[in-house]
Amino acid sequence: MTLSHLATEDVFVVERNDADFRAGQGMTKGLGIVFRKFRKALFGKPNSDRADTEGQFNVQYPEERLAMPEAYRNMPILLYDDATGHELCTSCFQCERICPPQVIHITQAKDPATGKPVPAAAKFVLEYDTCMSCGYCAEVCPFDAIKMDHDFELSTANHPELDVDYNRLLRPVSYYETIAPTMWSDVKEQAMKKLQNNIKRRPGDIGRDHGQKIKGGAPVAAAATPAAGAAPAAAAKPRGPVAAIGKNMPEDKTAKLLAIRAANAAKRGGGAADAAPVAQAAPVVEAVADAPAAVSAAPTGPVAAIGQNMSEDKRAKLEAIRAAKRAERGE
Amino acid sequence: MADALTQLGFASWLSVLIASIIKVTLILVGGSVGMMFLTWYERRSISYMQDRRGPNRVGPQGLLQPISEAIKTMTKEDATPRDADKIVHFLAPVVMLGATVLSFAVIPWGRMFPVDLNAAVLFVIATGGLHSIGMMMAGWGSNNKFALLGGMRGVAQLISYEIPQVMAIIPVVLMTGSMSLQKIVEAQNDFAGLGWYVFSPVGLLGFALFFTASLAEGERTPFDIPEADSEIIAGYMTEYSGMKFAVFYLSNYMSNLAVCFITATLYLGGGNGPGVDALGGIAGGLLSLIYFLLKSFALFFVMVLIRATVPRLRVDQLMSFAWKFLLPLVLVNILSASFWVALLRWDQQWPKLTEWFGAPSTADATNWGRLAIAIVLTLLINAGAVALIMRLTNRNVQKHLYTTDEELALGLS
Repeated sequence: MTLSHLATEDVFVVERNDADFRAGQGMTKGLGIVFRKFRKALFGKPNSDRADTEGQFNVQYPEERLAMPEAYRNMPILLYDDATGHELCTSCFQCERICPPQVIHITQAKDPATGKPVPAAAKFVLEYDTCMSCGYCAEVCPFDAIKMDHDFELSTANHPELDVDYNRLLRPVSYYETIAPTMWSDVKEQAMKKLQNNIKRRPGDIGRDHGQKIKGGAPVAAAATPAAGAAPAAAAKPRGPVAAIGKNMPEDKTAKLLAIRAANAAKRGGGAADAAPVAQAAPVVEAVADAPAAVSAAPTGPVAAIGQNMSEDKRAKLEAIRAAKRAERGE
Repeated sequence: MADALTQLGFASWLSVLIASIIKVTLILVGGSVGMMFLTWYERRSISYMQDRRGPNRVGPQGLLQPISEAIKTMTKEDATPRDADKIVHFLAPVVMLGATVLSFAVIPWGRMFPVDLNAAVLFVIATGGLHSIGMMMAGWGSNNKFALLGGMRGVAQLISYEIPQVMAIIPVVLMTGSMSLQKIVEAQNDFAGLGWYVFSPVGLLGFALFFTASLAEGERTPFDIPEADSEIIAGYMTEYSGMKFAVFYLSNYMSNLAVCFITATLYLGGGNGPGVDALGGIAGGLLSLIYFLLKSFALFFVMVLIRATVPRLRVDQLMSFAWKFLLPLVLVNILSASFWVALLRWDQQWPKLTEWFGAPSTADATNWGRLAIAIVLTLLINAGAVALIMRLTNRNVQKHLYTTDEELALGLS
């Protein structure tokens, strides 16, 4: 066969050999291929490599999950230091400025005594419903305070819930460390250094008065003393993270995280030294369940105030006003 | 069953009525449950062929999925088009389902026969032919062009494929000497329950031809032209929704199930298998039922495999396949079946054969010499016919495959 009016190199001719006896071999071959796929999908190993063309491809999602890449980004979260409870955000407005859909809204904290701005945010609202997960905020943040979370199961029937405020945006640094260890280790040193500088400029509880961060005994005491703030963050690390995780996550997730961390610790070869704090952590996690009770049961000094979103001098003022009123009434 | 009831003291008409009602209920329940299982089975197996898992959430391994879907279709709105012929539109699914259920009356469940008709094969074919009426009613009554196209295509296809289907059964009837399905099953009980017709050259070719023609009768891919969803939406079912659609669906899958059952009965020995006779009684009956279902569902697996592999034929390919390929082979198969029967059974006509090869093997002992000659002869005839017709078909295909220079020059391509 020739197609003389066409350039020969443009034509691809499928050669069918006339001499071949064709008695359904092609169809049998096709059936064989399909049957092999059936067999491999039913009995073979699940597909592990994306280059594989056979085997089971499906991941049974709610029960099984693929490991998320570290740089996966869904929605922004804000970080706070486990040891001191100080938020990393300084309300520099870089993220608010760069945000393409303009869903970040920050109010800067003010020193109640002087009225001057303080490197901390008083309010921080993020509209998750309009956020487009571009990650610019995390890129631009000079203090590594805003990061992209891996949690994608955010569907809700309650739309206003998607305007997320500061309390619900906060995650401990240790949580971010579990989802993106290398990314955090790259910036950890400088971020912590900047945080220590900022803590010095924050009077009272400003900068750590959001959410219910500090729970479960020992870390609270460490946070209450001003000296602990200046101490290296790593010192308080082994215990801090565990308590902090419990705050933001359901209990079963916490248990899983603990297990993962135990495995990681074992891998790192730290042996007993690293594994011990994890073992200690178990009762701490249990304590998280009745955390509000624990907080109110230990009303010593500044600790009590933290839970109730009240700074020390504010409380002192309130007491003074009440005393004056009582005096007025002639008691 | 009726006799047992009469002995219990019921009037004879009452006992017949009660026995019939029980039988009908069992058949209907068995058919519907079988159909439900079939939908699940098809979806699961085709999923694995496509590297998926299929429905596995409702119930253990997704076995309750058909029930949830039945509830879904029952609660859906049942819409009738404004300009439809309302009575015909309503009756079409009823006729379809009725035709399917009728064929279940004679299908043996293993060794249990609901009714042993002496012309059961004819009955099955006749009820299968009723499908085309239901299809045409649905296509015409819907007053929709896609439905009408689908109905027309369906009727054309069914009528064309009924001929090779019916004629593919003739060898079985010849070899058995009866049209009763029970007799056909009994005739395949030689060689410790493994004397199935499919192991003889005549039966093998007949099995292949009958199964292929049945695929077309049951509108299975690659012969799903009446409901080709990429061309004419859903064919004659386009205007049906809710319960009526469910009835069509039920009838389709039940007829597929019936095709598998009948193929297993005619060619794969029904409930025969090693050990059935040895067990006997109720245990043997149960074993035969298990054999029968295994064979049927293996056949259905082949149907699914074909569906997952082969694309749909064109209408002209469908017709030429039926008339130029299946029909000649079926005729040749009848010829070789006649030789088979002549060699094994008929010897009053040909006393010389008895002289040379001994008496025919009608009863107990098998005459190996005659059997060997019959196998060789029929194998030669059938293989020769298959080779010849495939060669002819290939040549025809080749002729139309390429365009010659002259045709191109004349603009004929």
